[in-house]
Amino acid sequence: MSNSLRPYLAAVRSTLTAAMTLENFSSQVVERHNKPEVEARATPEALLNPLVISRNENERVLIEPSINSIRLSIKIKQADEIERILCHKFTRFMMMRAENFIILRRKPVSGYDISFLITNFHSETMLKHKLVDFIIQFMEEVDKEISEMKLSLNARARIVAESYLTTFD
Amino acid sequence: MILLESHSVIILNTLTEKFAKAGSIDVQFVDYDGVRFHLSTPQRKTLLLLSMSIRCWEELVQYGAMDVIKREYGSYFKPDAEPEYNVSLEFDLEAIPEDAEAREAIIKSASLLKRNVLGAPFELAFSTQKSLEASASPADGSTPAQGALMQIHYRDEEAIYIQASQDRVTVVFSTVFKDETDRIFGKVFLQEFVDARRQPSIQNAPQVLYSNKEPPLEIRSVPGLKNSDDVGYVTFVLFPRHFSNPDKAYATISRIQEFRDYLHYHIKCSKAYMHSRMRHRVTEFLKVLNRAKTEAPSGERKTVTGRSFSTR
Repeated sequence: MSNSLRPYLAAVRSTLTAAMTLENFSSQVVERHNKPEVEARATPEALLNPLVISRNENERVLIEPSINSIRLSIKIKQADEIERILCHKFTRFMMMRAENFIILRRKPVSGYDISFLITNFHSETMLKHKLVDFIIQFMEEVDKEISEMKLSLNARARIVAESYLTTFD
Repeated sequence: MILLESHSVIILNTLTEKFAKAGSIDVQFVDYDGVRFHLSTPQRKTLLLLSMSIRCWEELVQYGAMDVIKREYGSYFKPDAEPEYNVSLEFDLEAIPEDAEAREAIIKSASLLKRNVLGAPFELAFSTQKSLEASASPADGSTPAQGALMQIHYRDEEAIYIQASQDRVTVVFSTVFKDETDRIFGKVFLQEFVDARRQPSIQNAPQVLYSNKEPPLEIRSVPGLKNSDDVGYVTFVLFPRHFSNPDKAYATISRIQEFRDYLHYHIKCSKAYMHSRMRHRVTEFLKVLNRAKTEAPSGERKTVTGRSFSTR
């Protein structure tokens, strides 16, 4: 793990743990509704201050807490065109399976690549520290996966080009 | 399988089978670049008719495809082609040689029909280069003579351009990438084609140049070139050493005409690989997330003897 990644992940971990103090909260606007306040945005007093943790200009995390839900959006590093397209494909692939990833949002918040929405129901049925672990592991591995995919693409391209060109001599 | 084959496996297998034992047949099949084949026995079981339709037939005839067909297939060539097809070959099972090796040669050359037809302009370019080389270069320093630029529009939006010069033959492929991912993957692959030549072991390979969007100088005068982001131009510079003897020329032609298919085949392969990788990674992530779930209370609990156990 590189030097700047460790404090970055540590900051995300402690912020997320602190923010994940959720309680049940029924809508104050519509009777018998119980919506994630961070998405509904109907009651300003139920929202807390959003927070951005950024490693550099290309990698950052936005954490938006509220009384009964918390939204976490990740911007993944994209250094060039290939990483951009691989990242797009990968996040799209995951978001299409959002019903399996209970806490995954189907669309990212604008300006970010992938978003998670954790409500009080999730934090009641799942272990809080394990949820945080999942987010952190995701952040660690997604970068690794994208750079590995890029490497394998380059390696394949090289083998393909070489084996084609060696047939002429 | 890294390299593609230039013969048609269907023709090879079907003809081998039919040559061994005559029987009626009527099959239509396709090959790369929208080439259609029709293999049938219209009159009697022992008379096989193989027809091919290719998109750029008129252009190929102009560049000497007929001579190549007559040379390769001789008496098997049927002068009037089947309707809707461009070229037909006829094999009379009662007239073909009995010798197994001769039969194999016929089958092999029939399965190379597409390669041979598409190879005609390359052969023409190679012979043009030889005659240009033989004629002395102009002493006054003016530009040396060049062969005509041959255009083969073998796909809807893609074409091969071939030009012979005094010391080389230039082959330019234009290729269209259908979507964004293909375009970017294609760029990576083509860049490797350009870079791979730096290795000492493949110094002898033809020089490869790649330009995105901008057509290379050789074909800039051609009207109707698309100038958009998704078009790539790949230039191969073939030197006389690549076609110095018939065997080498044959191998070079086979190899170079399948370049486009080869490139796109490997782009698709790497996309498929990425997909399986992502699938694997996503299941791994799911496992991690599922660890967060608290143990769901199991339904009915039983005692050792099989009675239900419940708390009141």
